[in-house]
Amino acid sequence: MTPSPARSSIEPGLLASYRPLPDVADEMIDPSGAVRPGWEKLLNTLDQIGPEKLATRFARASQYLHDAGVYYRVYDENGTQEREWPLAHIPLLINEDDWRSITLGLTERADLLEAIVADIYGENRLISDGLLPPDLIAANPEFLHPVAGVKPASGHFLHFCAFELGRGPDGQWWVLGDRTQAPSGAGFALENRVATTRALSDISSEMNVHRLAGFFKDFRDSLQGLVKNPQGRAAILTPGPNNETYFEHAYIARYLGFMLLEGDDLTVSKGKVMVRTVSGLKPVDVLWRRMDAAYMDPLELKTDSWIGTPGMVSALRQRSVSLVNALGSGILETRALLAFLPAISRALNNRDLALPSIATWWCGQETERRHVADHIDQMMVGPAMSTRLPFEDMNATVLGSSLDDEARQALLVKLQKDGRGLVGQEAVKLSTTPVYVDGKLEPRPFVLRVFAARNKNGWSFMPGGFARVGLTLDTAAIAMQRGGQAADVWITSSAPVRKDTLLPREDDAFRRNVPGTLPSRAAENLLWMGRYIERAEGTARILRACHARYAEAANTELPLLTAMRKYLKPLGVELNSAIPKGLLRSVDGAMLSAGRIRDRFSPDGWLALRDLSKTIHRFQDVVASGDDTTRAMTIILRKLAGFSGLVHENMYRFTGWRFLEIGRRLERGIGMARILATLARHEAPEGALEMLLEIGDSVMTHRRQYSVYSGRLSVLDLLALDPLNPRSIIFQLDALKSEFSLLPVSGEAGSHMPAYSKNVLRLHTELAIMEAEELTVEKLHELAYEIGALSDTIADTYFA
Amino acid sequence: MLYNIRLHLHYDYERSAAGGRHHIRVMPQTMPGIQRVIASSLSFDPVSAERSEFVDFFSNNVTSITYRNPHETLDVMMTARVNVTRPPTMLDVSPNLAALQKEIRSVWSITADSPHHFLTGSSYAAIDPEMTAYAQQSLADSRTIMEAVNHLNGRIHADFRYDAEATDVRTSARQAFDLKAGVCQDFSHIMIAGLRGLGIPAGYVSGFLRTIPPPGEVRLEGADAMHAWVRVWCGREAGWQEFDPTNNMVAGNDHILIGYGRDYADVSPIVGVLKTSGSQEGKQSVDVIPLE
Repeated sequence: MTPSPARSSIEPGLLASYRPLPDVADEMIDPSGAVRPGWEKLLNTLDQIGPEKLATRFARASQYLHDAGVYYRVYDENGTQEREWPLAHIPLLINEDDWRSITLGLTERADLLEAIVADIYGENRLISDGLLPPDLIAANPEFLHPVAGVKPASGHFLHFCAFELGRGPDGQWWVLGDRTQAPSGAGFALENRVATTRALSDISSEMNVHRLAGFFKDFRDSLQGLVKNPQGRAAILTPGPNNETYFEHAYIARYLGFMLLEGDDLTVSKGKVMVRTVSGLKPVDVLWRRMDAAYMDPLELKTDSWIGTPGMVSALRQRSVSLVNALGSGILETRALLAFLPAISRALNNRDLALPSIATWWCGQETERRHVADHIDQMMVGPAMSTRLPFEDMNATVLGSSLDDEARQALLVKLQKDGRGLVGQEAVKLSTTPVYVDGKLEPRPFVLRVFAARNKNGWSFMPGGFARVGLTLDTAAIAMQRGGQAADVWITSSAPVRKDTLLPREDDAFRRNVPGTLPSRAAENLLWMGRYIERAEGTARILRACHARYAEAANTELPLLTAMRKYLKPLGVELNSAIPKGLLRSVDGAMLSAGRIRDRFSPDGWLALRDLSKTIHRFQDVVASGDDTTRAMTIILRKLAGFSGLVHENMYRFTGWRFLEIGRRLERGIGMARILATLARHEAPEGALEMLLEIGDSVMTHRRQYSVYSGRLSVLDLLALDPLNPRSIIFQLDALKSEFSLLPVSGEAGSHMPAYSKNVLRLHTELAIMEAEELTVEKLHELAYEIGALSDTIADTYFA
Repeated sequence: MLYNIRLHLHYDYERSAAGGRHHIRVMPQTMPGIQRVIASSLSFDPVSAERSEFVDFFSNNVTSITYRNPHETLDVMMTARVNVTRPPTMLDVSPNLAALQKEIRSVWSITADSPHHFLTGSSYAAIDPEMTAYAQQSLADSRTIMEAVNHLNGRIHADFRYDAEATDVRTSARQAFDLKAGVCQDFSHIMIAGLRGLGIPAGYVSGFLRTIPPPGEVRLEGADAMHAWVRVWCGREAGWQEFDPTNNMVAGNDHILIGYGRDYADVSPIVGVLKTSGSQEGKQSVDVIPLE
């Protein structure tokens, strides 16, 4: 067929250059070379958009992920680093019929896995019946002796699982591995979806793509349903900000409205798991743990775990808390276990698995070992107890066909000697899906991750969302630690789909969450973030004032600057470097505190803070002393004001906000008292009072209220005693007084008024009746000290 | 043999501990065919805010205590009256190594007594080629597993120097093996690691040992110590047998049993998580007083 003249002028379509691999199934092109249903529409639209606009759209998707702060952690020889989320922009399409048979197969599998794990930690009938070798369990590092015989409070071991699927050359889906410990990726799937929809919104609505929100809503309700105590709550347990998928923990906590807790937030009291909050200990009934089981309790599991909760296993023994999933469920991820599923399925269900696993042979058995040895060219051989997929574990897993004679001989010897430690798996060629590379589509192998959550009636499945796609044609490159990408997965329907969101529908009952549940650790981080932000602002103001004088004065030995140098030195701030370490430390400190409580941060707030931190680190290398620094500080102050504006105008007045505000007020009060003690003393150098007014942002007010001439007493009056000046010391005490009165009071206090409230009242009264001339240097230092002591009292009351 | 046993553990914290949680495994337990506990008691100073008991996977009695208030010391006091009546040494009915391994494979169970838990390396007793090779020498002239284990028991006693200063509670089997010295805990770990390397199931026993004063001298108050030895699965018929490499003997009526584990970590007298920034120091005194 000759192209019509009208078409010859445009680029050939994306399909024209797409070449699936021989002997490998492809998701877009069927074996006869025809485009599979659904893909045609996608291809046409992509062609219509054209390469230039596509590039813009894909950039928009990546920008979204960047702005949302989506990252994951990679571990390499340089330690750990945050990497931007590697989105493959073309979604993988799966049609509804295919999907239905996948989820039916996985429902059967999830129930089978539940039966197996319940037996492993229960009656051990699978072992006594010869269906599971005892040494595979007893010697398994994932078999947790302390929980053997402990029945889960919820009645089930498994509540949230993921399955890794691949499609073989014959078009059949295979399960490559089960994720039952603490599967990650569900939150990333949501972000994949948001980002991909940004780029391809017009097509996604046309193609009847199943939405993801309903799955989360269902699971949130299921977790709430496991809460038995009227005061109890469900929460997410994270190993902390250094974990590779911490972003996702914070994201899901925010999305579902659950508390995000670390092991140290929890304590076990009278056999119950409690969270330390600013309102005292509160019971936790359900923990969705994102922490591997071994780390959960240093008393009975890994004794060197610093991130666990002592007594957790005792609480499980008392059946007072439900863990999602139960401790010990990780044993189901053991690679060698795949070899025993077919027989167990036949024994328990009287049928073969509807969705088979990748063919697996445990070499601890004579016949199986011989089979693997005889077919070594078609095998991947790896550690039997590994809980990772073969391609994630290529250091330990070898491909029989890739070995030279010597290596192959060595492997056969190893099989003979250490068969129990090895497992052989059929080396499958995974099917490919298109990725967009330099304006063209190219096939890449992928693994589909399917998420299942238990609900009242059985299992619900997240319809799509997450596939890992190889960087190259090598299957080993699918692992994200090795450069793999993530793609959205669209389950497409022939009819319009239901639009679910997490927002309640009009007829849903109105329910408020239990208030007063701010974990103590979060409160502490919020307070310190407030202090660091304010410290950064105070330092930037002083630096701006000093460097402006540097620029004007010929003599850098100006007495005023010498005095300031002496004042700043103990704060780690050197005047001869433009961006001193002390300032960087404050900004880094604010970032660190914020990073520990990302679930409580709006993406805008996080973005503003990250922008500030990036700016200041960039300035460090390029900004010179003097005028240049003055300008740089003005930019920093503007960005700080932007962040403060967000906090002030957009943050709901939860208890958390109060701790942030208290931190700011404390720091500002301390800072002002200290700088007044230096610059408002009788013998202060020339120009000190003008500089004070500038640092205190009060030049114009002073001019209006007093006179052009800055007198020592009028400056002290305005910056220490004026209750209307938001920079004065008494203004901070005023604010602290009212914030303190709104803090939760723990029931155990024997007094009508907590200590911090009494102390702030005393300080406030003392200052309110004071005259400017009474504010001696000693008095000001004393004030700074007393305000600092308020901070300690708050810490003792709420963070201990 | 009837005994009164007294144990006193004392801990000093450099800085006062704000609170803490401990699991304590020091109570002898009744074990049919070995010993019967007539009476026992366990107390703590300061008195803990919470206290509960449970039985762990290996059937040991565990007392769990929790402190919420600051304390500078912790004292654990245990007293028990125990009647130890181990049977006289039995005939050697154990198989050879090849037969033992077949018998292990025929045990389709993972209960606490199943040999399968005691075959792989554990944190204190990791399998190691050199310790395996050391144990291997005892196999050469032995017809049965029990012969081999007895032989190894004697060699460890002869080859390693008893030296309380050489090691501490954190020392692993391999470290003690290199030092050629240690205490009962180390000798037991070396023996366990060596046997497991050969494919022989071996576990750790925690307990007390009666010390018999030299002729003409009186027993010194508090001079006894907690003790550790080894149990080995010697086949279906012989079952678990206990050997004491520190004293080159089979466990007898001088050995009073507290509990079983894969190594020290499973049965240490006290494990705890303390809220303190300082270090801690511990002392123990033990009296094993025969009443007959």
